[in-house]
Formats: sequence, structure tokens, C-alpha cells
Amino acid sequence: MEMEEVNQEQGNSFSFSAYWPSIAIVGAIFSLISFVIGLYFGYQQINSEPTGSFISPIMISSGVICLATAFAGMLAVWHYTKEVSPFMKLGQGALVGFLTGAAIVIFSTVLNELWLLIDPEYTEKLIEATIANVEAMDLPADARDDMVDAMAQSMRDQSFLRQLFIGIPVPGLLNMGTAMIGVKLFAKKEDEISF
Amino acid sequence: MKYKLLYTGVLIALSLMVLFSLGSGIWGGEAGGHWTEQLFRGVCHQIPDRTFVFMGELMAVNTRCFGIFLGLLTGWGLIPLLKNRVFKKKWPLACLLFAGLLQIIDYSGNLFLLWENTNSSRFLLGLPLGMFSSIVIADLFQST
Repeated sequence: MEMEEVNQEQGNSFSFSAYWPSIAIVGAIFSLISFVIGLYFGYQQINSEPTGSFISPIMISSGVICLATAFAGMLAVWHYTKEVSPFMKLGQGALVGFLTGAAIVIFSTVLNELWLLIDPEYTEKLIEATIANVEAMDLPADARDDMVDAMAQSMRDQSFLRQLFIGIPVPGLLNMGTAMIGVKLFAKKEDEISF
Repeated sequence: MKYKLLYTGVLIALSLMVLFSLGSGIWGGEAGGHWTEQLFRGVCHQIPDRTFVFMGELMAVNTRCFGIFLGLLTGWGLIPLLKNRVFKKKWPLACLLFAGLLQIIDYSGNLFLLWENTNSSRFLLGLPLGMFSSIVIADLFQST
């Protein structure tokens, strides 16, 4: 009973130090997964012949990564309720979810930057392969040129801070949503405390 | 209703997400490298022939993602109206699981060439998935 009271107190007072391990562990695992998936599809794009299809490996990777990482917020809440305290308020869960989404973006951006130390030409090769695929598409010349210019520019203009600034909001919001579902599924509510 | 601040904050965020997902047609500029497309690049494949055209330009997300985002916003908007209809009820979770199952069936059928899904079918199937994802937590906002 004492343990439950302590856990409930933890649930009522928000302390970042109690939440960071769940955010960091789940964020690190999911960023590694998204990094590996991105790299796999990236090299598949680089090493494949341009087909001219809109459905290219690099296009598929973002959908797969989204699916894989959207549940990180829910998992972070699950981890917290298992390892720290079974009590969690909805707002706390929402914040944990958003921060988990942000952690995934930060870790995977760092991993991508580190990969450039191993393969410095990765980005250029990926841009060339993507452009080659666009050029093989059955499109009017003007539309194709515009598409190539826009893609090349957006893939090159990816500074570290820009990637974080533009990359965090949407995954953060989606993970916030799954984390709130996680609170409903895994966290104990105050009216469920048994004395 | 509990957590009014959280509810309002998420409502604003979801509204912005739907507005941004409409893409360059509403925000100015041309599709292809537009900032709205970059915003969703990490979560959507943005394949042009699987994307709606809005105000003469491709939207920033594909039809399924747009359906999910619009569904999330619609469901979130319904939360204050649901009240006792969701409190300690199991139907929202059952509906969410069914909506998820529909996605798997639709994707698999298309993958194994059993049928060919369309932009409209992807949008219409994405809509309930998003909507019930919001509604499933509606009871947490109820005071009773």
C-alpha cells in the first residue's frame, strides 16, 4: 500500500528526471530502427536502375518509417508505467509522447550525419539516383525539369538545424496521440487505486 | 470536461496540421520542395499519383494520410459532444481496431493484386482510422 502511495505521488507531480529514461530509451531504439530502414531503402534506390515509377524505394521508406515510429509514444508510456510508476495523467503522457517523437528525430538526424562520415557521398548518390528515376518518368519535359530542380534543392538544403526544426512537429504530434492512447491503455487512473 | 488546455492545444495543432497538409495550393508557391511537403516528408511517401490536387497544386500528403489527419481532427472535435456515450464504453476501441484492420485488408488486397484501391478509397478508409484514434481517448476528457 505504501508503494502505491509513493507511485501515486510520482504520478501527480511531474518530474522530468522520472520521464527521461523512457523517452531516451524508446527514442533511441526507434531512431535506430528508422535510421536502418531509411538507409536500407536509400541504398536500394542508389543501387537500382531508374524505373520511372513514382513508387520508388525512397518514397516507400517514409511511409514505412512513419508506421514504425508512430507507436513510439505509446511504447514510452508503457515503459514508464512498467518501470517507474503505473500512474500517469493525460497531459504528462502527451508531453512524453511529443518528446519521444522529438527524440527520434534528433537521434536519427545525428545518426544520418554520422553516416556521412562513413559514406560522405551518400546524399549526392541518393540525389542522383532520385533524379535519374524522375528523368525516366513519362512526364512533360517542363514538369519533369521543375520536379528535378525542386527535389534536388530540397534534398541539398538540409542543414542539421533545419532538419530538426521542420522534422519534429508532425512526428511529435503523432506520437503525442499514440502516447495519449497509451495512457488510456496502460496507466492507472486515480479512481482505480485500491486501499 | 477535464484537461481543457490540453484539449484546446491539440485542437489547434491538429487544425494546423490539416491546413498545412493541403499543401502549396493554399499557402502559395508550387508543389515540389514546398515547405509544407518538407514538413510531412518524414511521415508520408507523398507519391504524386496518390495525392489529391487542391487549388491547382498537389497536396503535401497522400490521400490516405490526409484522410487520417482529417479524421483525427474530426474525432477530436467530437470529443466534447460524446460525453456519456464513451465513458467506460468499449465500442471506440473496437471501432479503432476494425478501422486498423480495414487498412491492412485494403493494403494487402492492393499489394496482392486482388483489387486496385483508388485515391477516394484510400481517403475514405483513412478517415475512420484517424477519427477513432481521437475518439478512443474521449472518455479521459469526461468529468464524470
